[in-house]
Amino acid sequence: MLCAQRITRLYETSGRGVSEVSLEIQPGEVFGLLGPNGSGKSTLLRVLSTAIAPDSGTFRVGYADGFQEKREVRAKIGLMVDRPTHYGDLTGWANAYFFARAYGVEEGKADGVLAELFDYFGLAEYKDEKVKTYSYGMGKKLALIEAMAHGPELLLLDEPSLGLDYTSQLAYQKKIREFASAGVAIFVASNQVDEVEGLCDRVAFLHRGRLVAQGTPEALISSLRTLRRIVARLHNPIEYAFLEKTPGVERAVPEGRDLVVHCVERPGIVADVVAGIVRCGGDIVSLSVERPNLEDVYVKLTGEALHDDEA
Amino acid sequence: MRLNPPDAYWKKDAVLFFSKRLALFVKMLYPVALIVPVAASDIPAQYAAAVVGIVAVMAGTFGAGESLTVDLNDGILVRVALTPLSPRRIVFEILAVNAFLDFIQLLPALLIVYVLHPAPLVWVLAATFGVFATLVTANCIGIFIANFTSSPADVLLYATAILAPLIYLSGFFRNTNPTGLLAALRGFVPFAYMNDALKAVFGLDVQSAPFEVFVYPSIIAAVLVFGVCLTAPRLLSPR
Repeated sequence: MLCAQRITRLYETSGRGVSEVSLEIQPGEVFGLLGPNGSGKSTLLRVLSTAIAPDSGTFRVGYADGFQEKREVRAKIGLMVDRPTHYGDLTGWANAYFFARAYGVEEGKADGVLAELFDYFGLAEYKDEKVKTYSYGMGKKLALIEAMAHGPELLLLDEPSLGLDYTSQLAYQKKIREFASAGVAIFVASNQVDEVEGLCDRVAFLHRGRLVAQGTPEALISSLRTLRRIVARLHNPIEYAFLEKTPGVERAVPEGRDLVVHCVERPGIVADVVAGIVRCGGDIVSLSVERPNLEDVYVKLTGEALHDDEA
Repeated sequence: MRLNPPDAYWKKDAVLFFSKRLALFVKMLYPVALIVPVAASDIPAQYAAAVVGIVAVMAGTFGAGESLTVDLNDGILVRVALTPLSPRRIVFEILAVNAFLDFIQLLPALLIVYVLHPAPLVWVLAATFGVFATLVTANCIGIFIANFTSSPADVLLYATAILAPLIYLSGFFRNTNPTGLLAALRGFVPFAYMNDALKAVFGLDVQSAPFEVFVYPSIIAAVLVFGVCLTAPRLLSPR
């Protein structure tokens, strides 16, 4: 459904963007693109949504060329940008109706399709309220409705679940699975590891504008089967570089308030890590030993964390 | 045909225009407040016509330019441009609906002018059409400016720089009896024909014949509309 070949788009001012990115997404496949902020996810989505032209490379959606047949491509795509915007002085329903009709949904069908989606995403009772009164999460749900209403062949979603409450996240993921079952190709750009790991059939990692790996979540994680992941929640930030000198510790990376330590399996490693954290001045609130996840794969591949928060 | 919920860009703008009651009241009131006192006074006819013309020019240019830059800054216009709608159609609808809504704003004031200054019907129609052609031209200028800036404040600045020489050429205040190059250039500015028609309504003898007010501004405005629509892919691209 989507075939992109060697897409390069670099911003002159910052030199950032994407470089030589190639990927394919089949009908019915949910494809996740993981990368930290600034890795180029949104730039790639902008290219694939025809918002900006690449410096080089090509892509097709179905049989439509991404550069020569932009309007055909746009008609096939359901798009949700990372910061959805709406006409604040129009109601949620009016916004969704406007976009549905712009995508060619027939007048007679639009009401029914939208009513079902508003009901599904819990926005039915707010449909006649102006969008400027909506919360951020409600705006995101409205953007999802606008992306889905016309029955696209390809869904391009940028950080779709960010800002959604837990119930809405589950509803969104269920709907994504329904679309995939119906043969829709789905591209999810995110840095929410749990979401991508649970939802996506295949995943690619984007690091500083380049794809560093892609495959199924299971295959990517299995490459780390000898790794243990010790997650320590700390009261205070610490200088953790010293911890990496502990025998068996491969690296330590901060993830929000947690310090994640990747280490090889050996007897006594957990005790050594705890001792190392304490020696670094860490005040441990909680500790868990987990199986590796996609974030660990990313760290191993790039040496950098998906989230740039300091522990 | 229903406007709300909107199924076209122009309907969306029309719904927004009529939905905010206080803003609508102010929008409808300010042309009346500016034009009617002047029309009712014994100010020289040339200047009364100029005031009506200036209000039309400013309303058209600033209205389209500012609302467009606000939508561009919000990102909503770029989002709309990523639908299968033709970018040129979107820009045409922006232009058409803004010109029409500006015209609705000015119409009450114009009607009062016609009541206060009864004139031959042909000049009344010519003046009304001249105002509409001016609004189309002014909106073209506003949209053209939005190609180069995403700041509503810059729109005011650039518009002033563009409008000042056009207003001079049109003979609102100076250049009332141009010759040579100035006369030739005046013939390419739709504002000039509106000014002539308004002067005729206020009782002055003018250079243009009524048919010229219908024909030449139509041709010039059509060329401008075509040109502005060609800028659509650039205008609607992410900034």
